[in-house]
Amino acid sequence: MAMTAQPPMFVRVMGLPLRFALYALASLVLIGADARYDTLRLLRSGVAAALHPVQTGLARPFHYLQDAFDFFTVHGELVQEKHRLEQRQRALMQQLHDRTLLQAENAHLRSLLGLAVPPGYSVHGVEVVQAMTNPFSRKVVVDRGSVHGLSTGWPAVDDLGLVGQVTGVYPTSSEITLITSRDQDIPVQVVRNGLRLIVSGTGQDRLLEVRFLDMHADLRPDDVLVTSGLDGVYPPGIPVARVVSVEPPRNSPFARAVCAPLAGVGRHRQMLILQRETPTTGPRSAGPPALSAVSRHSGVSP
Amino acid sequence: MSSATPQKGRSERPRSWARSLSPQGPQLIAPASARLVYGSLTLAFLLGLLPWPVDWRWLTPDFTFLVLLYWNVHSPHRAGLGLAFVLGLLTDVARGVLFGIHALVYVAAAFVALSVRRRLENFLPPGQALQLAPLFLGKELAVLLLGLAFGQKVIDWWHLAAGPMAALLWLPVCLLLHRLGGRPPAGPAAAQDK
Repeated sequence: MAMTAQPPMFVRVMGLPLRFALYALASLVLIGADARYDTLRLLRSGVAAALHPVQTGLARPFHYLQDAFDFFTVHGELVQEKHRLEQRQRALMQQLHDRTLLQAENAHLRSLLGLAVPPGYSVHGVEVVQAMTNPFSRKVVVDRGSVHGLSTGWPAVDDLGLVGQVTGVYPTSSEITLITSRDQDIPVQVVRNGLRLIVSGTGQDRLLEVRFLDMHADLRPDDVLVTSGLDGVYPPGIPVARVVSVEPPRNSPFARAVCAPLAGVGRHRQMLILQRETPTTGPRSAGPPALSAVSRHSGVSP
Repeated sequence: MSSATPQKGRSERPRSWARSLSPQGPQLIAPASARLVYGSLTLAFLLGLLPWPVDWRWLTPDFTFLVLLYWNVHSPHRAGLGLAFVLGLLTDVARGVLFGIHALVYVAAAFVALSVRRRLENFLPPGQALQLAPLFLGKELAVLLLGLAFGQKVIDWWHLAAGPMAALLWLPVCLLLHRLGGRPPAGPAAAQDK
């Protein structure tokens, strides 16, 4: 950082405090640019594209070790799990069949009513590569990205229920924020009576909560919560959580319900990303969710 | 390895009284090679990318930051503010937080470390760890507070525990890198006392 053109006798270098101030300013500008605007997405996705394969490569030996360990120690367990999975597969095929029938029936009824065809969804199978060290939220990295057609905002599910939402998309990888993350809120509906609630993550696996619950709300343990579809992000009817307990209000005017996620959040390595096939203009303002159990009991309007 | 010369010099010193006429300051230590500095930083960064158990993430120290501080203190010509800035940006992407948070914190910590390095070099590694502990804790705190300031609504304070953990790891890191860099294992201060 010599200021003169000829080789100087005394090299003039900026002092440490000045250099520190410049770097700090650059950092603050970067933070501001990233927080407020979308300008740094290209840079970030470039670095991420270089880093995530390294992460994948580093994680692979551990996956192999884990697989070998599983194979040698819990072989019997694997056989059992295989049987269980086959059974579940049969059940799932049955459900899929039912769902196809319901979709066909629904499309027919809607065409009869002259309404728009409800959005169909297609799925992307993804595999979790890495759980991120992020002190603010629970995120995982999966092995599909914008090259495979993924985009932010899409819900991630497993065969039991909602897992999370795609929050960052890079060329060959994506970040998924899990529903147990403390900044994730999901609009849900109680299957039993159609009550609409918002369920939030707590930052712990296997635990969700309804934070501001009306103290007279009709919510009981073992109630199943499904997405209401009112946000336009999650399709209606995906199982989210089961109520574990409802705590009466203590120091606040609101009760609180503790729920357990139905999906294997943070446990499985495979999950599905739902892609909406036909982009719609927005959420439907009213109308019963697709789940038949809800529409049967939706006489009670919240 | 270049550690042969200092070893020989130390073993000879108590015997030869004639040498007391020559200056008896701390031994001269060859500056760490670029390969060692950047190699150890790369290894530390890769170590941070390993799939650590999710439930213990809050206790996993920031290895990159630890090794960066080591080189800030022991080889300031190779590891300055610019290196801290670049490593911070890489860490930001690896951890999926806002671009620049770790860069700012790393640069600030490197600034502090560069300012106090002359004093730190007079201490043994345990003393250095004790003096750097506030810096490690402050780094975790600063990351969390910056996240809070820039849009994160809820944060997990347990991640502060990674700071003291990193301070504890300062000792093995010193032991390892002293040996690799050809320093006497206990640092120049110990060599001076003999």
